[in-house]
Amino acid sequence: MSEHEQRTPVMLSTVSSDDPRLQPAARRPELVEKVIAVTFFVGILFVAGFGACYWVNAAPWTLGATFGGGLTFLGVGLIAWGKYLMPRGPFVEERHTLANSPEDRDAFAAAIIERGGGVVKRRKVLGGLLGAGMGIFGIVAAFPLVRSLGPLPKGTLFHTDWTKGTYLVDITGRRVHQDDLAIGSIMTVYPEGLQNTDNGQAVDQTVLIRISNENFVTQKGRETWGPDGYLAYSKLCTHLGCPVGLYEQQMQLLVCPCHQSMFDVTNGCIPNFGPAPRPLPQLPLQIDSAGYLQSQSDFNQPVGPGFWERS
Amino acid sequence: MSQTVNTKRTQRESEGPYGKVGKSLNELDDRLGLAKGGRTFMDKIFPDHWSFMLGEIALYSFVVLLVTGVFLTLYYIPSQDLVTYHGSYLPLDGQRVTEAFASTVNLSFAVRAGLLMRQMHHWSCDIFVGAIVLHMGRVFFTGAFRKPRELNWTIGTTLLILAIVNGFLGYSLPDDLVSGTGIRIAYSIVLSIPLVGSYAAFFLFGGNFPGTDIIPRFFILHVLIIPLVILGLVGAHMGLLVRQKHTQFPGKGKTENNVVGSPMFPVFMAKTTGFMFVVSGAIALLGAFAQINPIWQFGPYTASRISYAVQPDWYMGFLDGALRIFPSWSFHSFGYNIPLEVTIPAVIFPGILFNAVMVWPAIERHFTKDNDMHNLLDRPSNRPKRTAAGVSVAVLLSMLFIASSTDVIANFLHLSLNTVLWAMRILCIVTPFIAYPLTYKICREMQAFAGAGKRKTTNVVTRTTEGEYVATAAPVYVDDAHHELDAMPVPTFVQEPDVVIEEAGVRRVLR
Amino acid sequence: MKSRRSRVPFLCVAALVVAGPILSLATVAVASTTTHTPYQTGRANAGTPNSTTVVRNTKTGAIVSYGDSAITYTAPSPSLAVLGQSLFLENCASCHGTQANGVPANGTAGAFPNLVGLGPATVDFWVESGRMPAADPRAIQAKRRPPRLDQAQALAIAAWINSLSPSYPDIPSPNLTNANVSDGAALFALNCAACHTIEGDGDALANGTFAPSLRNIPAYQVVEAVRTGPGNMPRFTGNLSDGQVADIVKYVTTEIEHPQNPGGFGLGGLGPVAEGFVGLLLGVGLLALVGFWVGERQ
Repeated sequence: MSEHEQRTPVMLSTVSSDDPRLQPAARRPELVEKVIAVTFFVGILFVAGFGACYWVNAAPWTLGATFGGGLTFLGVGLIAWGKYLMPRGPFVEERHTLANSPEDRDAFAAAIIERGGGVVKRRKVLGGLLGAGMGIFGIVAAFPLVRSLGPLPKGTLFHTDWTKGTYLVDITGRRVHQDDLAIGSIMTVYPEGLQNTDNGQAVDQTVLIRISNENFVTQKGRETWGPDGYLAYSKLCTHLGCPVGLYEQQMQLLVCPCHQSMFDVTNGCIPNFGPAPRPLPQLPLQIDSAGYLQSQSDFNQPVGPGFWERS
Repeated sequence: MSQTVNTKRTQRESEGPYGKVGKSLNELDDRLGLAKGGRTFMDKIFPDHWSFMLGEIALYSFVVLLVTGVFLTLYYIPSQDLVTYHGSYLPLDGQRVTEAFASTVNLSFAVRAGLLMRQMHHWSCDIFVGAIVLHMGRVFFTGAFRKPRELNWTIGTTLLILAIVNGFLGYSLPDDLVSGTGIRIAYSIVLSIPLVGSYAAFFLFGGNFPGTDIIPRFFILHVLIIPLVILGLVGAHMGLLVRQKHTQFPGKGKTENNVVGSPMFPVFMAKTTGFMFVVSGAIALLGAFAQINPIWQFGPYTASRISYAVQPDWYMGFLDGALRIFPSWSFHSFGYNIPLEVTIPAVIFPGILFNAVMVWPAIERHFTKDNDMHNLLDRPSNRPKRTAAGVSVAVLLSMLFIASSTDVIANFLHLSLNTVLWAMRILCIVTPFIAYPLTYKICREMQAFAGAGKRKTTNVVTRTTEGEYVATAAPVYVDDAHHELDAMPVPTFVQEPDVVIEEAGVRRVLR
Repeated sequence: MKSRRSRVPFLCVAALVVAGPILSLATVAVASTTTHTPYQTGRANAGTPNSTTVVRNTKTGAIVSYGDSAITYTAPSPSLAVLGQSLFLENCASCHGTQANGVPANGTAGAFPNLVGLGPATVDFWVESGRMPAADPRAIQAKRRPPRLDQAQALAIAAWINSLSPSYPDIPSPNLTNANVSDGAALFALNCAACHTIEGDGDALANGTFAPSLRNIPAYQVVEAVRTGPGNMPRFTGNLSDGQVADIVKYVTTEIEHPQNPGGFGLGGLGPVAEGFVGLLLGVGLLALVGFWVGERQ
């Protein structure tokens, strides 16, 4: 007999190798094996194809198709092997109670309570001081994690960069002239010099529309705010701050594209539909001697969505 | 019978009966002591039911996320510094964009297989969260969260929250127009929190919106902090599963004290590894043929640009829908403002929802007063109240998801936007209250009907000689695969060498 | 043997009977509260003969064309006016009146607008895009359709209306050779995407109006729409130069109408809504089916 002969496995007593539970689930295992072999082969072709497509820098869809196809075929073959050709089962195992015996549980509880608690009870002052120390440490350890992240808001959310005499410019920096817009026109304007800054775009952004050829009064107290029919409103929606760029000129509505709040342009942009709670703040306009548009002052309210200190 | 002892034979004998592999395993056991534990692990039984595969879809799509994610981190630059884009996508050529955006566009066009990896990463995230929700639904409706598995339920809910958050952070990283709008909305939601909102928003963003800190912070959260937590929790989740063993449906031979199914090695490992390939393959095929998040078309985010028909990724849809339909109730008084139209749908509602979900095992225990261990699952129809409650919450969330696409629906169905919004407001309130009694009734009906949900057996009709017709259940073929055999313990395959000891100190082996 | 009659159908019907009237009342209540009087449209002042190149008819002095290297605006030939009048009387006068000055209808002034002084580009846009003659005159917004009248007929009608009161802008022909598609993309994102979506697919607006899809629109029609602001669309006049409009047109006619889509099927440009459907139904759904095959005991 050869010295290297392998030993044949021997089952334990009650199970014979003809047991139906150890047989493959497939009725014709040889046929299934052939099918799985073909599946694996196709998978290998796809995977090799991925390599080839990558090598020649083919279109992205070929890379994904070969990669995905290969994995799918290989996976399907492997699943089929496990499901149809391996011992069918079912097999069982017993669950052991997770809980330990009452004696072990008591010993565990005693170890914590009597050993640990007993120690602390004997040195109450130390325990108290340690507890206080850990407590205070826990609180102050949070300080750098939170406070160092950013500056305090202070009054930042209450103002924009518009002041008396600021010129309105478009995204290229060109000043807006009173002859520029026709009735029904809209454009986005920024304070002069700030059109390419973060603040200029995020906070100061203003929507300028022209709804008539004469002064337009949107509300009482705003008689001088709409010279020549030009109206300027903050572009920040008072709901969640999206730019309100959608203008329906015949309906005189500014619609916010995010959650469809609708603002009545002729009436100070009071919201008449949707979740926005407050009107868009209006920027008072004036026209200088050369005909260029300027702001008279900052907006009549803080711009953008609501926050606690806003009142 | 040989009487001589040969040193060469002794050497080969020391290899043991399992050859070189066996020798390596013995070496490992010397150092790690894993023989017994490894054997126990390989004998572990995993029960067979299709609904137990849903968690695996989540697990394997997470693996795809990790692998593709590593690839992406090699090319993505998490910086909001402005650069001028010069690349192969001409409509962006010459525009000032953030480095984050430019690096993502370059990754999509200039890196070989870069677009495929990006799309696979994004698709597998959508599938990841979807599979978690399905898996969670299975666990909920079958009562698998009951004692001793409450902790696993809490871990799972936390995993869902982390997956949603990480998905949001991830698709915001390219800093494109659509996801940038989402970041603006997130800023405003944080701002709306009473008392601390403006401070929290300024701390999170390093100042007013947009600042230059938010993308790098999102990046490190997305690739390091949250994935580490997810990995740890997934490990704990699977560890608890191994320790407590899987639950199973009641059936032949299945009791509260056993598990019937397939052994871990080799059957279950083959099936699960194959399933991992199929999940990865499906994600790759989606990444090949279905374009997702074409950021080059959206262009870079600047705060004064906006697009219409902008929705977040699907798993954030319930928040967006809630924000759209909630009325514009704002609360002003004493010089302070609580923007309830934001706080309620985006802070309070998800807070209550997720907290209630997380402590659901305790809520159910309060109502059922059931403190027993449960290893057998319920059929959902056998627990009508729980099933109806789950279905009505699912209906509410589905309505909110649909509400997030009001403009798309109005466009598609040629309806007025105002009509669609009002319809969604009413549907979101009314449909959960319709769903609860409807589901309850259906469960009751199924309980009353004995064969509901079970496989039907065929009947054989025979005619006796007296002319009587008798219907009997058809005999089950022994080879019929559906026939339920009695379960057996996993057989051991142990060598029983023929050992003869004749002299002290000399061990001879029969061959 | 079931001894209880099933009560499920009754409950379903009861739910529908209760919810149905509530829903329909709500929609009717909302739909009937919206009335808006459209404002009389004014005259554009860009796309006007302010540029250096103005070509006039030597005999009559009327402007023949004007413009710059980016866009040339050509007035429709006045000789077409006679044909235009007869076409107008056949196709348009029943709503817009025989003098094209609008016929009050439904008691709503200006419901069928006064066309005098609107300029040739406006008339040409509405007719050549098929929106006019209107399929449903009572619809809040006319839809784009295969045009009933061809280009020559549309120009004739425009010529006749222009003859009543000459106005601008004239019919544009953009020259896209020097247009910058990247500038066009930036301008599109800032000015157009808010209504038409960044992918140009259009979407629903307030009260039943909508921004149409931008696919398959010839370049000159894009210029006409931008300069004249049809319907609820705002008009872009002095705020966009001809060069900027040409940039936008180049972007629309290339990237919007023929997106590159290197990643595969564009899924309709609907963004995350479509992606969610595909991901959940195709992705998770098919994988759950595979899981059914994997998990079930054979």
